[in-house]
Amino acid sequence: MTNRLMVGAFYNPHLGAELAQAEGIDHLAMADPPGATDPWWPAIRERYTLLLHDYLGQLSEPLDERSIGRARALAELYGSPWVAEHFQCLHTADGAYNLNYVFPPLYTEEFLDRFVRNATALKARLDQPLVMENIPGFFDVAASQLPEPLWLRRFFEATGAGFLLDLPHVWLEAHYHDRNPEAWLAEFPLEHVVELHVAGVEEDRDLRGPWIAPAEPSDEMLAFAAHAVSRCPRAKAVTFDAFSPSLTPDVLFRSVERIRGAL
Amino acid sequence: MNHPSSDRALQDDVIRALADAPYRASPRWRRRNLADPYRVERYARFLARHFYFERIVQFFKYSRALARITGRPPEAVCKGDAFDLLLPSVVLGSQETAQAVARLVVAHVGAARAPIPYLADLLRYEEAMMLVEAGPRIWRDDTPTEGAPSRARHAPEKVEGTALLELDFDLPAVLPKLLQPWTEVPQAAARPTQLLVARSPHGRVAVARSDAGIAAVVQLADGKRTLEQLAAGAGLPVETLEATLQGLVELGAVRFPTGS
Repeated sequence: MTNRLMVGAFYNPHLGAELAQAEGIDHLAMADPPGATDPWWPAIRERYTLLLHDYLGQLSEPLDERSIGRARALAELYGSPWVAEHFQCLHTADGAYNLNYVFPPLYTEEFLDRFVRNATALKARLDQPLVMENIPGFFDVAASQLPEPLWLRRFFEATGAGFLLDLPHVWLEAHYHDRNPEAWLAEFPLEHVVELHVAGVEEDRDLRGPWIAPAEPSDEMLAFAAHAVSRCPRAKAVTFDAFSPSLTPDVLFRSVERIRGAL
Repeated sequence: MNHPSSDRALQDDVIRALADAPYRASPRWRRRNLADPYRVERYARFLARHFYFERIVQFFKYSRALARITGRPPEAVCKGDAFDLLLPSVVLGSQETAQAVARLVVAHVGAARAPIPYLADLLRYEEAMMLVEAGPRIWRDDTPTEGAPSRARHAPEKVEGTALLELDFDLPAVLPKLLQPWTEVPQAAARPTQLLVARSPHGRVAVARSDAGIAAVVQLADGKRTLEQLAAGAGLPVETLEATLQGLVELGAVRFPTGS
């Protein structure tokens, strides 16, 4: 099974020169559209399988025509085999407040209904399958009604969307809830996983604990990735999830190599 | 924001608490007892640092490119004590917080003793970009495209936040060069240059060269003056004014109120 897995990274435009000539990377996820003056974009597009992983919109609300058109255009530009979005609700309905960072919805029946309805509508407008990524919570909100894994399972069963399993997100939730990561992972609907994200974590001064960082994954995270992949029978790709102007080429290339080695 | 009556409204309240430090400290939020206040505070501070790091990297990208000369990467302010002092008053995305953070960056980079004659102009330009971007935005297009009111019936008005910059150097000519590989600092011609910085309702910031006519139109567009009065005030023929207004609307600098 692992022979069929693609192993890749995110396209970081400041590393365009290195990525345009790199070996050992099967795909690049695109978090932003290519810059109009990016000299490396033509070579990148020619060389790699590209995965659409942009901000399309938060599916707590229906996507408008402008956003759907943008998603369709980017998916076509990249030739993306699937289209990714996140289980996120990061700006208020009136647009007055915006966190500019992935933030999970309340795990309630109302939000499940919203996400199922709006993801189903988006899926119907795309020419590629839709995959949805789990988002970590640093704190629990008392109003949530369902455990996250159950909420996700019901979402995937209702929509037929694929699961983009972000492993560091699962690991962080386990860490901040004093749970065993493998036991916590086992509760997620792994049979729906199409792609996995693997990343490094570092101590954050504000959180006073670990969080995602543009760093190499630890040996523990790599072992966790190998464990997870062995339980995701439909997985097609593993992506080193680092997209930051401070990411160095050494970290990117070594991380991809070590992920491939761990699998 | 009213007392939450649905899960969506409740989610909005959590988002506001994370984004708005004074609200987070208020009895109204604390009484709700929705989440561990220690963790909410920690996460809100993490988000604030992330939010302004991203904006500084985006809007001060030319100063970043010059950091090997100035020795002062603009994003370094996010890790400084002065930024920590702002945290109790931060409201993510507000004009006031954007102004406060931009001031930190301008003071930090501007203190460099570097042989870059246009550095002060550059910092004013980058600060203007960051300020214009701040403020609420439209996330979804709910406005029907048909049946829009006739422009002829409404007076154009300057969009709040639109900025006119008077510079001593021709920055637009040098900016692209700063982002390309260079060994000697690209120089800008000393030439009075006027720029207009504006934001679309969806948050896209755009810059265009301006001139005396364009500047007059922007300054006079108060939502009350008719096209004829604007044309007379700006010293432009009505046909030229209409073309100028079209460009300004596309830039996001001027809008026609719907009148509804």
